Amino acid sequence: MEVKNVAPPRLHVVFACLGVAFLLIFSWVLLHEGTTEWRSTQARFGRLQASVKNPHQLAQAASVGGLRQIWLPDLGRIDRCGTCHLGIDDPAFAAVPAPFATHPGTWLSTHPADRFGCTPCHDGQGGATDYTNAAHQPQPFVSRPMRPLETIEANCGACHRALDPPDAPRLAQGRRLIVEFGCFSCHEIPGFEGLTFRGPSLASIGYKVRSGWLAVWLHDPKAYLPQSKMGNFRLSTQEITSLQAFLLSQRAQPPLDSTGIDWKRADAANGRALFGELRCVSCHAVNGRGGTMGPELTKIGDKVQRDWLFSYLKDPHRVQPDTPMLQYRLTDEQLRDLTSFLFDEYGSAAAATEPPPVTYQDARLVAEGRAVFERRGCTSCHRLPGFKDTGRIGPSLAGIADRDPDELPYGSNIVRHTTDNYIFLKVLLPDTLGQPSSMPTFGFSPADAAQIALALASIRKADLPASYVVRRPAPAPYRPGGAFGELVDRYRCLSCHSVNGYGGDLSTVPFDRIGSQLRRDYVAKYLLNPGAVRVSVEARMPVFHMVPDEAKTIAEYFADVFVDDSLERYDARFTAVEVRRGQELYRRLGCQACHQLGTKGGYVGPELSTTGARLKPGWIAAWLSKPQTYRPDTLQPDYGLSPADARALTAYLSGSGADRTRGGNTP
Amino acid sequence: METAVSEPRRNRVANWLDAVRRSVCRVGWPVTDKDRAAAMISSLFLHIHPARVSRHALKPTYTFALGLIAGILFVVLSVTGLALMLYYVPYPPEAYRSMKDLQFVVTFGIVLRNIHRWSAHAMVLIVFLHMCRVFWTGSYKTPREFNWVVGVVLLLLTLGLSFTGYLLPWDQLAFWAITVGTNIAAYAPVVGDRVKFLLLGGHVIGPMTLLRFYVLHCVMLPLAMLMLISLHVWRVRKDGLSGADIRTSTEEEAAGVFPASTKTYGLMALSKRPRASVESRDPNDEVFAWPHLLYRELLVALGVIITLHVVSLVFMAPLEEIADPTRTPNPAKAPWYFLGLQELVHYSALVGGVIVPTMIVVALLALPYVDRGKAGAGRWFAPERRVANGVFTALAAVFVALTLIGTLFRGQNWAWVWPWK
Amino acid sequence: MTNERTAPREIPDGVRRGIFAVGCMAISAATLGFLGATFRFLVPNVLYEPSRRFDIGSPQDFPPGSVTFLPDRRLYVFNSADGFYAISSICTHLGCNVKRGGPGFACPCHGSQFDEDGQVVHGPAPSPLAWYALSLSPHTQLVVDLDRQVGPAFRLRA
Repeated sequence: MEVKNVAPPRLHVVFACLGVAFLLIFSWVLLHEGTTEWRSTQARFGRLQASVKNPHQLAQAASVGGLRQIWLPDLGRIDRCGTCHLGIDDPAFAAVPAPFATHPGTWLSTHPADRFGCTPCHDGQGGATDYTNAAHQPQPFVSRPMRPLETIEANCGACHRALDPPDAPRLAQGRRLIVEFGCFSCHEIPGFEGLTFRGPSLASIGYKVRSGWLAVWLHDPKAYLPQSKMGNFRLSTQEITSLQAFLLSQRAQPPLDSTGIDWKRADAANGRALFGELRCVSCHAVNGRGGTMGPELTKIGDKVQRDWLFSYLKDPHRVQPDTPMLQYRLTDEQLRDLTSFLFDEYGSAAAATEPPPVTYQDARLVAEGRAVFERRGCTSCHRLPGFKDTGRIGPSLAGIADRDPDELPYGSNIVRHTTDNYIFLKVLLPDTLGQPSSMPTFGFSPADAAQIALALASIRKADLPASYVVRRPAPAPYRPGGAFGELVDRYRCLSCHSVNGYGGDLSTVPFDRIGSQLRRDYVAKYLLNPGAVRVSVEARMPVFHMVPDEAKTIAEYFADVFVDDSLERYDARFTAVEVRRGQELYRRLGCQACHQLGTKGGYVGPELSTTGARLKPGWIAAWLSKPQTYRPDTLQPDYGLSPADARALTAYLSGSGADRTRGGNTP
Repeated sequence: METAVSEPRRNRVANWLDAVRRSVCRVGWPVTDKDRAAAMISSLFLHIHPARVSRHALKPTYTFALGLIAGILFVVLSVTGLALMLYYVPYPPEAYRSMKDLQFVVTFGIVLRNIHRWSAHAMVLIVFLHMCRVFWTGSYKTPREFNWVVGVVLLLLTLGLSFTGYLLPWDQLAFWAITVGTNIAAYAPVVGDRVKFLLLGGHVIGPMTLLRFYVLHCVMLPLAMLMLISLHVWRVRKDGLSGADIRTSTEEEAAGVFPASTKTYGLMALSKRPRASVESRDPNDEVFAWPHLLYRELLVALGVIITLHVVSLVFMAPLEEIADPTRTPNPAKAPWYFLGLQELVHYSALVGGVIVPTMIVVALLALPYVDRGKAGAGRWFAPERRVANGVFTALAAVFVALTLIGTLFRGQNWAWVWPWK
Repeated sequence: MTNERTAPREIPDGVRRGIFAVGCMAISAATLGFLGATFRFLVPNVLYEPSRRFDIGSPQDFPPGSVTFLPDRRLYVFNSADGFYAISSICTHLGCNVKRGGPGFACPCHGSQFDEDGQVVHGPAPSPLAWYALSLSPHTQLVVDLDRQVGPAFRLRA
């Protein structure tokens, strides 16, 4: 009877099959866990370690079993890259292939892994434990796959906020370009706060430029001036005409009176001499050669009106209060010669004739031009009275690196849809993204655009903990008062020289300790007729045509204010033995290979015959001991001189050209 | 060793061990029919089965074991869910991080998560099919009306559990599915916004929402579910499986699917109920639950577990980027079982968000009290119920079609797309 | 209802039992595996806790002759005449933070007293306070290793 109530045999077969199937499936699960990628990678590393290291090192080596993670709660990151990259901090693996290779460079010692992890620099999915999911290549649903080395500096910028971050040349160049082109005039850009970018004031432009030039310029600034910082606004003919009329109607301040000038008596040869003497090319390029601080002068004759140029050279600060251009002390005759020279030399034939009458009387056209001026945000860079400050015209770039790449337009450009690519395209070709854009085309080279994009890609949405951020304090503006202040303003000293990091970098001589470096008499003499200290260097100080009183004021201010006590305290009473020893050292160290002393020597370094008359001994000794402290990029070698040796050389050099009767020490 | 122990002593030990065993499990491996019945009745867990069941009800094609499968899935979900709770932190960025940890560093973590995820989807599907089966066999008729109502509530609880669980990974998929889902709820007149506010614990989905959904998903809804499942099964146990009047075909009889039953004694000997339902049934149609029912249940459970493992090893549970309230994916879709509603909302917020769901729930709850005819109960597609079956099938088909459209045929901006393109 | 109808299809008892046993064994094996897997699942593979090896700053941060308490590391760092050493502030009795009081340490919870070297003077504490190894990192930072306990003779010269 009981037999009938047992389960049918077919169910037993099904049961056995299912049981075995379950066992198999479960074994599959175990296998799945036991053969994960990182386990086999660690096994490979174990074998590699045996071949790379000797038995003693092997005994010392830590065991590699198990997952490794760096947990950075303050950054919200967990990086498990070390699970596979096992040789990353062990120099023994320098020559082995990835993933076990040692990290190149000294990055891990400057950025210890237990504080910085891996993904803050490299991106990728740090929590993953296999190659694919770590996003070494772009992966779906991983918003920041690993950065290729070409753009990795964007991540340096997340912490390093200084404008010239160390060891990140692309990032530094990108930021330099942003400053140079004043992107922050139209966009709010975190990290560039407090910086201003000013185009020329347009308040009196009606007197300044020729209407024909204005049309060409507005159509495409690069056509006139390839390195123009103004972009191409892609204006229509109608917009150009109206803007032209509007701008020509801007006549706030007529130029200084030049009616008494007899242009026919202009001496072009004298003008040419002045052009050289004033060192105009230090800031202005002609025919592609020269500085970039001021506008190129190659076609200046086609651009401006003669009366205006005369007036501007006489007093540039009158119409352009912010210009770095200095005000030379020239006579009207000298100004006439210089203006005339510039017009003849750097203008086409058309420039000789006076421009045709302008069309700024049409009120409707002027109003239209004013509207265009306002709409296109010209006021962001150009000051014009009567315009309210309406804030930045462009969108804020805060958090631009975290914009959703799928929401951004790419136009017809065939690129992978990433935020980086979008920024690059927007910088390079703002009009090709399939949306109307009022951003001008700056005509960057692709390389420049890539560097700007890289700098912008470091601007993240969420800020980092303050302990990770490296900022360089902005230099405090230096505005001296009194007679010295007026001279600094007139001659625009700070366009080239700096004080405590504030000012220009064209000159290699900051004012910080100049009073302890240079002798007062030398300064006063030098300012009246600056010459080249180094024969081989073209850039030098212009001849300001200062009056002696001015030079004296400056020299005295230097000697009183810009003083470094440690240099001043130097005992300058040298013995004859020291001088002889210095001469011997001078010969032995081969100084004459670069420097000229007397009639012999090289042309790389400054001429030394007059050292004693120029420099104070304390400074000579300090410079010879540690030149790189004062100028990191100097060619002067650090010989590691002992104080006695430095003193001997100083004694020898101070003697050369110094007026022995004056004792060699100025108070 | 054995030789060292004397015979009486060995007996004593055996007796002692047997006494311990009997104190735990009073009935041993049943050998006699009496034991088989006693085994079922004396065990807390087995007693939810009757001692004897209609052999027609055991036919796989009668119920397709859908209720049983749903129950098994609930157990699987409870077990895997408890395990996952050990590694889950219900707080926004950490919640997502724990998903990644399950995937990358927790041993068996990803398999568990996959099983949990796919079981949850399967459960919604199975419970829906179970409801369809009950309708098509007319099994909600007297005296089972209330059990149908309990079943409908269980379906809603299943949806609620799945919906609350959907948010927990805290990825884009979760965040926006819940955003869309809760906004559908907000279309309800008068109370809609209040309900949404209470559900989210605020105006937007945030840490409070996650915590609320977590507590609902892990404690409140499972407890409610457990109680209602007990009630549901208790009712089934008391009312018996329907379909008593179906006869096994003689071919099946011959094939030995079920052995011929022979009644030897009445179960009244064991049951204290004044009127055991067994009396009203034909004893010849019944077989012992042990082993016929239990064995089949075991096989179904094995089958379900194996299937879940295979699916979970082959298909990964989805996990997108971490939730970002500022980045709406296009299209943002609710969980798939609400996509029929979302599709309706696309046409009319009032219809899709209020009228249709309310009508569906009310109609389902009222159904057994409206459709009171007794004809055709317990048979698949009984001709007597042609109209009811037709209407229900048509409505179910429309709902399935809408869900399919919302799931597969809707792309960016909810525009029509062909999934194979 | 005769039993003969099913009889011809009956497979021998032994075979039937054999098949059943195969199923049972497979299920049992899988169940054992499942229990093992459950245990393995509970073992954390990565830890969310501070590193057991950490640097506490440069030796100059600890003036000679000073005792510095690092509350978040539960550690007393000594800079004595003959070198650096670190003593745990965790009472070996039930884990309270011991406080410096009088000549040594005292536990506020159950009155254990330790001397300057962390040896038990009296009280319920069963063993002396733990001493941890100190070392100097390549960047000349003091590094504590909680996985390396040392004896009270330990001194680090820095």
